[in-house]
Amino acid sequence: MDTSFKWSRFINFLAQRWDEVLELAAQHLAVVAISLAFALVIGILIGALVWNRPIGRATALSAAGIAITIPSLAVLALLSPLLGLGWGPSIVALAFYALLPIIRNTVVGLREVPSQIVESARGMGIGRTRILVTTQLPIAWPVIMAGVRVSAQMTVGIAAIAAYVAGPGLGQYIFTGLSSMGSFNAVNYALTGTVATIILALLIDAAFILVARATTSKGLRA
Amino acid sequence: MTATVALLSPRKARARERTQRILRLVTAPVIVVLAVALLFWWLSTLQLDSIEQRTLNPTYIEARIKEHLLLTFVASLLVAVLAIPAGILAYRTRSRWVRSFFLALGNIGQATPAVGVVILLAIVWQTGFATALVALVAYSFLPVLRNTMVGLEQVGDDVKEAARGMGMTPNQVLRRIELPLASPTILAGLRTALVFAVGTATVATFINAGGLGDMIVNGLKLQRYPVLFTGAVLVAAIAVLIDWLAGVVEDLVRPKGL
Amino acid sequence: MSDTTHTNTGFFRAISAQSAGVALELDHVTKQYPGQPAPAVEDFSMSIRPGELVMFVGPSGCGKTTTMKMVNRLIEPTSGSIRIDGKDVLSLDPNELRRHVGYVIQQIGLFPHRTIAENIATVPKMLGWKKDRIADRVDELLRTVQLDPSIFANRYPRQLSGGQQQRAGVARALAADPPVMLMDEPFGATDPITRERLQAEFLRLQAEIGKTIIFVTHDFDEAIRMGDRIAVLSERSHIEQFDTPARILASPANDYVTSFIGQGAAIKRLALMPISDAALGPAVSGGPRIPVTGSLRDALDLIVLSGAERITVTDPDGKAMGSIDHAAISHVLGTSAPASASGPESAVAP
Repeated sequence: MDTSFKWSRFINFLAQRWDEVLELAAQHLAVVAISLAFALVIGILIGALVWNRPIGRATALSAAGIAITIPSLAVLALLSPLLGLGWGPSIVALAFYALLPIIRNTVVGLREVPSQIVESARGMGIGRTRILVTTQLPIAWPVIMAGVRVSAQMTVGIAAIAAYVAGPGLGQYIFTGLSSMGSFNAVNYALTGTVATIILALLIDAAFILVARATTSKGLRA
Repeated sequence: MTATVALLSPRKARARERTQRILRLVTAPVIVVLAVALLFWWLSTLQLDSIEQRTLNPTYIEARIKEHLLLTFVASLLVAVLAIPAGILAYRTRSRWVRSFFLALGNIGQATPAVGVVILLAIVWQTGFATALVALVAYSFLPVLRNTMVGLEQVGDDVKEAARGMGMTPNQVLRRIELPLASPTILAGLRTALVFAVGTATVATFINAGGLGDMIVNGLKLQRYPVLFTGAVLVAAIAVLIDWLAGVVEDLVRPKGL
Repeated sequence: MSDTTHTNTGFFRAISAQSAGVALELDHVTKQYPGQPAPAVEDFSMSIRPGELVMFVGPSGCGKTTTMKMVNRLIEPTSGSIRIDGKDVLSLDPNELRRHVGYVIQQIGLFPHRTIAENIATVPKMLGWKKDRIADRVDELLRTVQLDPSIFANRYPRQLSGGQQQRAGVARALAADPPVMLMDEPFGATDPITRERLQAEFLRLQAEIGKTIIFVTHDFDEAIRMGDRIAVLSERSHIEQFDTPARILASPANDYVTSFIGQGAAIKRLALMPISDAALGPAVSGGPRIPVTGSLRDALDLIVLSGAERITVTDPDGKAMGSIDHAAISHVLGTSAPASASGPESAVAP
């Protein structure tokens, strides 16, 4: 069978399956979004707790730093016996990886807030937690958003691997391509999966630039 | 700056800094050793069936580790040898187009899922070690190139001007000033490429390139969790160790005074 | 023609042997950047005597730095010639040239990854000096710029304060003992107190070694304080006036130069004149006293402060030599308008 790549077959392939591709893209986006949401909440929480505690900070950052070097397939496979297949292990694994950039940027962002701002707020009698939420986090927000952006890119890529444990998204096409190697649509599946993932990642990145700008106070915009 | 840090005498502060540095240095390997020890202890308490025995023996594990390390290091070496000189050339080029082109290309590269590249290449070409190597090098090329460019560009203009004003030839400036000052960034890029290579070498199992990914995938497929755990823990251990090692090298090579 | 490399090597050897300044000539130098409507530097001609400290003063963008940078060919002239000790710089290898021209910039540019000693040793090493000679030279220079070698030689730039870094930068430029130095606002990035100290130290240095120096600044008071001659530049590096500080203060060539001088021109002039310039009156008993070694401005200062009509001038031993009043001071100003003030066009030494 002629398994070489032909544009005509590729176009055909896309035409027949474009709705499936879109649905997978939507799933991909969803799993990324949910995981990022978890990572954002947990990450900012941890970052806010340890940013000015040297020991806690060093522990959190080095733990997260070590975690992120672990190959994603290993984590996904380890979670599988516990959480089965599909969305469960995928979300946990993705959130796990997304944590480091967010924690790190939260810590850096909070540390970069000029200390005289915090001092004058305290001088006005505002409580520490309130200062954190109303002053420090908003000022640190651009930096935190930069971390979320990095996490997002990373998560989109790892989500593709998660398809191996039946995770949702465009990775499924990539793995279908793998399992159907030798058939004439294998390359089309793999190509569609890969390219669609690239496009999705770029779109998400662009969206983040806009979101970051929209949520950053005018006074802070460079 | 931080109100919660108590004021220490200079000697105490230096001692504390030293302990912190030692902790930072020692944490990763200690965790790795503990995890691997724990794994083997757990394995020793198990009764392994015949399938598991075929995998969980020193010969098999050693072979997989070797494959994994071979792929990782050969790929990283190739990337270093190809991408760093390319980065220097791109940095030196007068055309802004070339520089923007590579930066833009880098963005697309970062958005590309590695598993997709690996599998796609295998479908179009062939499965096996060579394909995995090519995919790995292709994928890691741009980040290292970009780090090289960025690292060179962030060297202060005043330092470069002073060097030229003193009569250093452009190559002398590159060798003695720009590269040493850019080395932290370049090394950071290589470190990332290395860690990345370990991760993607794991995925290379899908295209018959061997490595510890084999154990993970087989373990999952056959529902033999000891095999799965062993593969996963070992590959994680290797990744953490390589990252740690790269960090040590980074610290050693970094020019003093930076 | 003759073997130019041979001649060039000979030139550099001769230059190296001589640490005191050499003559510097700029001849109709122009710099035109492609695509720009007007040249950055237009038809600049100047003759600088050996050992002279010439200040280039002008607003940002007037081309003074561009002109200076053409001397060591960090910027290549579009036309015109530049000669160091009679030798056309365009005929020399630019890198070799720069190793024999000291170059100091505002942000200093110390190499952060090298110790101060290694920084200073950079050009001597490139010129192939022996290790001992380099080590001695580093020690000598650090002492000259008042940085204790035992403390600072092995420190890294980031461990030094701004003023210390500036001094290290000057030491580095002096390392190979170049006869010509180019300095681009070298003290600009320091606070006023440090800057004044650096200026004083540098003047002391220059008095000892007498190099030919082009010193770019936008600070007119710095120019007056330090320069042997000042070139007031307007756009395209046009020379509005090129003369000694005293003559520029006394007779500014046009309104542009006057605007640089700003307020208090007369008092600034007085700072440059010794008391001995004035005709002293008979000594008075009692009252404030001032040594004859002071400047007329010091004298005026004391007169205003004390409210006295006349103050006593003392000789180096402390004995009264005479007295001075404000009339005598004004008289000095009135009669000291120089007979031959140089105008904007004659920038060439007589």
